[in-house]
Amino acid sequence: MSNTSKRWLGRILLGCFACAVFLGVGTPRAVAKDKIIIGGTVAQSGRFASDVKPWPELMRTWAHMINEKGGLMVKSLNKKLPVEFVLYDDKSDPSTVVKFYQRLITVDKADILIGPYTSPLTFPATTIANKFAIPMVCAEATASAIYKRGFKWIVGVDQPAPLWSLNYFDMIQKRTDAKSVALLGEDINLFTEIMEGAKDLSGKAGLKLVFDEKASKDTKDFTPIIVKMKEAAPDIVFVGGFIPFNIAFLKQAKELDFNPGEFHFTHHGISFVDALGKNANYVTGESYWHKGMKLGNYQAFEELLKRAKVNILEYPWAVPRFLAMDVIRRGIEASPSLKKEDLMATIKGLHFEGITGPMSFDKNGQGKNRPVVDQIMDMKYLFAWPDAEGYPPTHYKYPRPKWSEIQ
Amino acid sequence: MGGVYALAAFGLSIVFGVLNVLNIAHGEFLMLGALGAYLIYVATGLNPFIIILLIIPIFALFSWIFQRLLIRPIKGKTETEILIASILVTLGASLLIEDVTFFFWPKSFTSIPYSLPTLHLGKVMIPTLRLYGLGIIVVLTVVVGLFLKHSYTGRAIRAVAQNVDGAQVVGVPTRKIAAMTFVIGTCLAAVAGVFYVTLYSMTPYMGLPLTVKYMVIVIMGGLGGLTGPLAAGLILGITETFVGYYLGSVWAPAVAYIAFIIILLVRPQGLFGLKE
Repeated sequence: MSNTSKRWLGRILLGCFACAVFLGVGTPRAVAKDKIIIGGTVAQSGRFASDVKPWPELMRTWAHMINEKGGLMVKSLNKKLPVEFVLYDDKSDPSTVVKFYQRLITVDKADILIGPYTSPLTFPATTIANKFAIPMVCAEATASAIYKRGFKWIVGVDQPAPLWSLNYFDMIQKRTDAKSVALLGEDINLFTEIMEGAKDLSGKAGLKLVFDEKASKDTKDFTPIIVKMKEAAPDIVFVGGFIPFNIAFLKQAKELDFNPGEFHFTHHGISFVDALGKNANYVTGESYWHKGMKLGNYQAFEELLKRAKVNILEYPWAVPRFLAMDVIRRGIEASPSLKKEDLMATIKGLHFEGITGPMSFDKNGQGKNRPVVDQIMDMKYLFAWPDAEGYPPTHYKYPRPKWSEIQ
Repeated sequence: MGGVYALAAFGLSIVFGVLNVLNIAHGEFLMLGALGAYLIYVATGLNPFIIILLIIPIFALFSWIFQRLLIRPIKGKTETEILIASILVTLGASLLIEDVTFFFWPKSFTSIPYSLPTLHLGKVMIPTLRLYGLGIIVVLTVVVGLFLKHSYTGRAIRAVAQNVDGAQVVGVPTRKIAAMTFVIGTCLAAVAGVFYVTLYSMTPYMGLPLTVKYMVIVIMGGLGGLTGPLAAGLILGITETFVGYYLGSVWAPAVAYIAFIIILLVRPQGLFGLKE
């Protein structure tokens, strides 16, 4: 190449560079924010999948309902932005949870995160949110251990697990003459905390603890436990476990003709009744919400369930999921901007009336979503407690009839 | 529980012994058996013990198609190749069955709400449902045992299990025998599934963990043997109950694996296995 050609080539390249600089190519420009991204994972396969099958539909329907009204108001932009969920299947696996929450933050650039289902999966997810300093609102994660690590970037809507059965033992004290209780907990972190709380709360309710044992989550044969419980002759049998654990226990209690004054299960739902039929009658349990509870923005919740075709009795965890989305909505609209620091500080300072009562967060970031008590009668869930304004009328029978009278 | 363990593990063992196929999808057949029983129960309200009679032909057909499409093509290779191929193929099938079932699954958990009054013999109480269940499992096991011992096909199955080349030399139709063995093994898992969904509850993802447990039982009883898994299953079930009573239920599931390690240390060939 001749010197003249080199000179011309140099001039052309210099000209291109000058044009590029002038047009702004290759230099950072402020990209107009056109949507709010909420990132999360949902167990669409693996052991938790059955519990949350309709979650993607539930969350996208919620976003659709928000977007129908123009989206969420962002104060710093002085305009409403539509909401979009980016969701991945975490396969009910903690390591997959970690992988996808990292991706949601680094690749999908989520503005805020919503937690995965259950405490075991929320544990690793919160670690990622805190490491990258992105606000996360946890939904179905009650275990206090998640929140006691001093993480700044997380809140959860559920109350601390040891307070799970506060309403239940309040009812026992006020509505029964029960004197003793037997406690059985599934051996996982959540139920360990719930059972610790139950021990304390039952003592305060004046009940004598006559049996206290844990059983592995894989327990299939409850015969030794039931035999020992029968020897202890409690008035109340309080079982803290997930639904399959509870179904197997009650089936075998019936088989062994074990007749305490009441069987109580911390977790149950319509599948519990389906699996047990008439044998589920008179069982008490706890759930977050009942039709007829007129608290907070309950109409929006009922509309969401209807549109997403979610049966609350089949999927009771829709309540904390909705509350988490409600916290995100209120947080974004109240925050001065979408900056993560502003957003997190605003969320932590929220006080509002949610669908299960007052909602705010304690110093660890745990909320106030507390279960209410219900009892199964004629294979239907009836509201049992608390007896207060905004709640449906109560129905409760104690003691339960013997098995021979239930058939 | 021991009875259900024994029945399902027996099915897994017989398939491994005769076909040299380690069927990772065995637990899925149990799950599908449970699901089928539940659906039949909901549709007809039939007694679960009668449902077993309907489940067997359904799963005979299903398992024959399964082995024809997925198992037969991997035959004719070396033993090691068959074993590895069978693990890969049945693992894939297992994941597929789980996900397809979950896709169409109507409920989060399911169980047959069937119960029978407790039998009182003085101070002793006997759960009638479990008693009948155990009785049927014992009868089924005896029938399968007699079939294997006295019928021509049964003897052919045992012959193939002992020496496939020798069996072929004396005119045993090994391909047919392999298909029949797979059908028997799968039907046993499906029947165990009927008991499972009647006594406990089921989900679409319960299959793989059950397969692992049944493998432990098979290895404990003696790989490829027929009596071993039955005995190991019963021993395990009973041990879990006693450990639960005396040491606490939280220790009961660990017993399977502790017993597994001890037995392998003392008798590497399993309880009823033969030294090579």
